Amino acid sequence: MSQTNKWTVKDVITTVLLTVLLIFIQLVVNMVCMVNDFVSMVLSVGFTMLLCAPVYFLMVSRVRKRFVSLIYMTILGLVFLIMGNWYLLPYYMAVGAVCEVILWKNGWESKKKITAAWTVSSLLYNGVNLLPLWFFWDTYEAFAISSGMEQSYIDSFVRYYSSAGWLAFIVVFTTACGFLGSIIGGRLMNKHFKKAGVL
Amino acid sequence: MQRENLAVPVKLWALGCTIIGISLTDDTILTCVLVMAGFLYLAVQRNWRLLQSFGVFYGILAVLLYLIRNHGLHMVLFSEFYVLMFWNLFAVFLVGWDLITTPPGELSAFMSRIHMPTSAILGLLVMFRFFPTMKAELKNVWCSMRNRGLTAPAQFFLHPAESCEYVLVPLLLRCLQIADQLSVSAVARGAEAPGRRSSYYEKSMTLKDWCCFILWSAVTVLFLWKGGMRI
Repeated sequence: MSQTNKWTVKDVITTVLLTVLLIFIQLVVNMVCMVNDFVSMVLSVGFTMLLCAPVYFLMVSRVRKRFVSLIYMTILGLVFLIMGNWYLLPYYMAVGAVCEVILWKNGWESKKKITAAWTVSSLLYNGVNLLPLWFFWDTYEAFAISSGMEQSYIDSFVRYYSSAGWLAFIVVFTTACGFLGSIIGGRLMNKHFKKAGVL
Repeated sequence: MQRENLAVPVKLWALGCTIIGISLTDDTILTCVLVMAGFLYLAVQRNWRLLQSFGVFYGILAVLLYLIRNHGLHMVLFSEFYVLMFWNLFAVFLVGWDLITTPPGELSAFMSRIHMPTSAILGLLVMFRFFPTMKAELKNVWCSMRNRGLTAPAQFFLHPAESCEYVLVPLLLRCLQIADQLSVSAVARGAEAPGRRSSYYEKSMTLKDWCCFILWSAVTVLFLWKGGMRI
């Protein structure tokens, strides 16, 4: 059966609905992880990517069109723009473009390609913590101090994101979680969604 | 008294002003000026319910911020960073929530008038209706899980992966059903039909709208002038 790349109303609604769900999960995980510095700075991005992978898998497999990832990442970037981090919008659009390149040739039909796209996004998602440290440290530090954060929190942030060992651990952990999440997502698609006839 | 919504362009302008304000400001604490303008803006629209709930929440934030900054309060469950972040973003949340609770007909009438593509209009409307819809769906999933005895804390701690699956799978299936229903409804109402769409809800700017438009512009300029800018 021939498949066109023209977007229908159903595609738009499905993409937007699942994108907002993805962003909602990301914000909730981030907020819950704020309880502890280590969990928040080192593990939270990984947990986010693990939990969001099945939703991303479903979105790409269901819509089966190009630019799904780009739209998702652009909306995510817009949310960060509204929160005052304007520089994350072009960054996430670039991440979305990378995912599109991976999925360009009917990538939605291949679990391997969707897994690769989500794993790469997981790796690049670390930009949410690293970009402020590398390019906007003064603003971030001033905000943290004026919020009444203890110096120990700021020191932890610098330690985790500027030490090569911790940085490597964070990147590897996040990427591994994204990959594991994609495997789980792929299995859930077969176990539930294909059987239910929605894919 | 019934709510009197301002025109959609004014609401969008107010949101733009608050985003520019909080993005460029040098003084996070002074964002209360924008929040006060936001409260006045809700009062003008007689949106008392939102004014009351957001007012209580802002009051709690103010007390927490005072205790953190002056008495060294350290909370176990909620980071101090988030208190200031909410304080800083409160004006955006306030104006944003007012915008997303605007009747969908008024929003789509304005977006059609500025020739926004139908797909973009639908996308925005779906986004705005996400929270009320998901709240109801999550409640249903939770009730189903409780009926089957799957909400006990022991179940969550002993089988976290299964618990996540029990929540995520029905929620996702329901999302897909909602997407299908919404698209059928939109197509049946001519969403894919070519041509310019008209609406019962189209309305032009009134004097009150222009006053609010000027108020937001003036408050934002004054706020950035007095509070300082990052660039």
